[in-house]
Amino acid sequence: MTDTQVLTVAQRLGTRALAWLHAHYTDGRGRLTDSTVIDLADPDDVYKPLCETALAASLVLREGVAGPRDTRAARELLETAWAQLRGGDLLYDRQLRHVAITDPLETYAHFARAGYRHAALEELLNSLGRLRAVHALEMQGSRRLALANAWRIAGLEHRPDWPALARATWLGARPEPWTITWVIGYQVTHTVFHLTDWGSRPDCLPEPMRDYLRDWLPVWLDVWLETGEWDLVGELLIVDSCIGEPVTGRTGWEALAALQHPDGLIPRDAVTPVHEDPEDTFREHEHTAVVGVVAATVALSRALGGTPAPA
Amino acid sequence: MPFADTSLRDEYAAAVEQVAGRTLDALRDGGGPAALTARDTTAPRPLLAAVRVLGADLFAPQLLTGAEPDGPTAELLVEARRTLPPPAAGSEEAALAIGWQDWAADRMLARTPFGAAVSPAAPPRTPPAPSPGSETAGWQAWAVRMAQLSVLALPGLDGPVHEDARTHTLGLARGATRAMLRNDLTTAVRLARWLAWARADGRPVRLEIEPVLERIRLVGAGSARMRLELDVAHGLLNAGPR
Repeated sequence: MTDTQVLTVAQRLGTRALAWLHAHYTDGRGRLTDSTVIDLADPDDVYKPLCETALAASLVLREGVAGPRDTRAARELLETAWAQLRGGDLLYDRQLRHVAITDPLETYAHFARAGYRHAALEELLNSLGRLRAVHALEMQGSRRLALANAWRIAGLEHRPDWPALARATWLGARPEPWTITWVIGYQVTHTVFHLTDWGSRPDCLPEPMRDYLRDWLPVWLDVWLETGEWDLVGELLIVDSCIGEPVTGRTGWEALAALQHPDGLIPRDAVTPVHEDPEDTFREHEHTAVVGVVAATVALSRALGGTPAPA
Repeated sequence: MPFADTSLRDEYAAAVEQVAGRTLDALRDGGGPAALTARDTTAPRPLLAAVRVLGADLFAPQLLTGAEPDGPTAELLVEARRTLPPPAAGSEEAALAIGWQDWAADRMLARTPFGAAVSPAAPPRTPPAPSPGSETAGWQAWAVRMAQLSVLALPGLDGPVHEDARTHTLGLARGATRAMLRNDLTTAVRLARWLAWARADGRPVRLEIEPVLERIRLVGAGSARMRLELDVAHGLLNAGPR
């Protein structure tokens, strides 16, 4: 059973991170300019944070463990983001034009999870899913799992070969645990997120991978706490909630809680400054806020028994 | 001895390297006694200090080949224990480590005719283990303490510290992995040695030890003392389950 103290800390961390995100969007961040076209000049600038925020908000709604204020904030964030994507039309146009890009599918999944649907986009995605070309795109194993999970969440036709996809990741090989790096760390966390659909399907993580994580997660958390990689620490805490009974205890949660600013900002690492300018601050630390919201949501949900994933 | 123009500290460190190197040679030559000093000469103080530091590891060549601790080395160790005061311990933890290192040395001496010459050290307190049943707290500090006691990971030694090692092989493996990631190769090799001991003892070990040893050998086994730890670990692995 998860330590109740951990849950208290997690709940507070997540609520404040969500409030920080909400305040920034209310304040005007995350707006695609009116001239934004399907060939996004810089997808990381506004589009990517918007999609990440949609992910966090969709998980808050899916798990249903948040209070009314947080639920309302999550719903507003999704409404804002969906409106920015012109009710999905931007995703549709982008995917229609570019067969070989994957972000419309991945982004759509976050909205579909929360009930935002776009029939034409689904028809298009199903059509593309029947092309060999789409499955032959060269990418990392954890990225391939992101697509597989998006197909699953959106309820599309394509049926991924999950065991094969799991085996084709770094984690699937259960490598010597002392060879992990910062970049590989993120690949590992995402492998777990997508296999388990962000903790709702812990049994979809093959048992050898789960045992491996239970052995080494405490070490990795310790090392990245020491080097102040708070964003990755947060992702590792999500993983800990996705694999069954948590193994890392309080330390990571308490460290992040101690770092969180009064307005809810969680610094992404020990070196990136927190700017005066809200635009810069948002750009640098938005991802860690998303991580904080997801970490708290999944931890609380799993501790309360979790939401059974639809069959 | 070529110790001129070096500080006392350097002189002693050089002596430790020399004694570790001789012990390593003996280990690689098949387990004879280490050639530490010519007979009938008075051992210089740095040599004695080094002998005290290496302690039970002086007999690793014999123990790993199933032989008994040799007389000349035992005699030298007795002299070191008699002549030199115990090293100053800066903390209770350091005192505990020295206590266990002396305990290990005394257990070796007790197997030789020189055993009666020293009053055997009483077994000190066991270093605190991670709280029972907890996988979450305390393994880091515990593993570092176990690394300081790696000299106990030798065939023929057994006690409460060994019992701890048997019980917490995952803590040893996590500690070794952590040390590797922190590039603390000294701690890593010493924990890998404990893991090798545990595996030789028939315990399931969750970390593959050989790649760790290989990596340390390639990256940083610069000192004779590190190489001795490495070779003892290999020796334990080759000895297999007892």
